[in-house]
Amino acid sequence: MDLVPLLQKVELFDGLTPHELQEVAALCAEQVYHPGDTVTRQGEPGSEMYVICEGWVEVIPGMPPGSGTPRAVVNLGRGQLIGEMTLVDYGPRSASVRALSEPTIVQAIDRERFTELCEQDYHLGYLVMRNMAADLSFKLRHRNLTGR
Amino acid sequence: MAPVYKVSYVVAGEEHPGAILNADQPPRVGDQVTLGNRRFVVLEVVDLLPARGEFRFLHATLRPAAST
Repeated sequence: MDLVPLLQKVELFDGLTPHELQEVAALCAEQVYHPGDTVTRQGEPGSEMYVICEGWVEVIPGMPPGSGTPRAVVNLGRGQLIGEMTLVDYGPRSASVRALSEPTIVQAIDRERFTELCEQDYHLGYLVMRNMAADLSFKLRHRNLTGR
Repeated sequence: MAPVYKVSYVVAGEEHPGAILNADQPPRVGDQVTLGNRRFVVLEVVDLLPARGEFRFLHATLRPAAST
């Protein structure tokens, strides 16, 4: 399966050359989830980020004990990233992510291999980090708008 | 490459977390969109950020389609 057309439509990879997109595609591993399946679990270590190719997931952040039932803060669909924070801060998963639709298909990208690629190719590395900052900013803006 | 519309959807009038999705076409007022397993009607669409490359960044307000 040629992943380049799909990756071209993901903001994280905006500006990458066809060759660079091929290099990213070589790191991708498809995973298929079903409604209710857990993609990531809050608090666990994470070594992969995910690009949603098909379907929907809900993002449920961890809550302090006794503060009620955890609720989803956003649903993410095609072209969105899951688990990208671990690429930047190497921290544990900040939220649990559950599949909502049948099927939910993601491409998993290993953090270590992707970081190596960013360090070997500074053009790719710069664009990915800029685009990741933009994606996190977009998510913050969305979060702010849901509260208005 | 055709433009990609990255859309922030917010549902008015209920405790829905909203959604973010890349779409091939921009949402328009009156359109029905499906988020997860539910349908909604688009009430408003605004530019959220300036375009960058092939990406357009939009914000759309929705209401549940069932309340029409």
